[in-house]
Amino acid sequence: MSDRREDIELIHATARGDRAAFSALVGRHRAAVWRLARAMTASEQSAEDVLQETFLAVYRGASGFRSESSPRAWILGTARFKAARTWRRRAGEPAAAEPLDELGCAAGWGDPELATAALEDRDRLHAALWRLSAGDREVLVLRDLEQLTAPEVAQATGLSEGAVKSRLHRARLRLLKQLRQDLNDQGGDHV
Amino acid sequence: MSDPVSSTPAQRLVGGLWCGDVLAGLPDYLEGRLEAPTLAAVEAHIAGCDWCARFGGAYASVVGALTEQLAEPEPVGREVADRLDAALDAGLDAGPGGGLDGAG
Repeated sequence: MSDRREDIELIHATARGDRAAFSALVGRHRAAVWRLARAMTASEQSAEDVLQETFLAVYRGASGFRSESSPRAWILGTARFKAARTWRRRAGEPAAAEPLDELGCAAGWGDPELATAALEDRDRLHAALWRLSAGDREVLVLRDLEQLTAPEVAQATGLSEGAVKSRLHRARLRLLKQLRQDLNDQGGDHV
Repeated sequence: MSDPVSSTPAQRLVGGLWCGDVLAGLPDYLEGRLEAPTLAAVEAHIAGCDWCARFGGAYASVVGALTEQLAEPEPVGREVADRLDAALDAGLDAGPGGGLDGAG
């Protein structure tokens, strides 16, 4: 049975009040919800609140799940909804869209010394990710960390697939820009 | 491959595409979503434009590093997991169907 089919079975069992099925569902998605919650909130305490509220909402909303939906996108969309209230209040909306060419240049396009070795540093990558807006982190976590498909990200965020693609591309470019800036500030390898 | 027909400090025209066209299409290119004619043009551009070849590699590295380095399999600590279990045990008494509360 596929992961998706198993998730759907667990959600249906949860809707019937099967606590063991719900525990299994929590175990399968707890890590992904936590990663998204940490990316979208300002503190571990807020992320923990989101984690708990998300799975309570999943349990209470299980009977409303539609089988044609993606379970992962449904659960992460619920987490996003819970986290967004904190996010809007504390971190502001995603950065305004600057021209793509300008963003590309800032990210290193056209730089004859652009190198990628510094990207291997996990801590540096993590720090750069945390300097992005919550909106950028959200789409990067959903697509590049959690590996949701573009339609799943669209389902989770309520955006069109076109908007998801555009936001993701810009978020990746801003991450590159941030990595270069951090390295230049540190006087390290050129990126 | 294709020789630059024209170039500016900010843009090069190689293989019939400007650098900006390649920059905009980079996600689709890396995910294999380009149709054959466009794919051929992008590959011709990248083969003849060191800027875009280098930048495409850096972009792909960032995406790969996010997936490989930051997606820890179990990032939830034991104490957080225990508090989650306790909160769910306490909160489930109302039973399913007690309101969507954001899910659905």
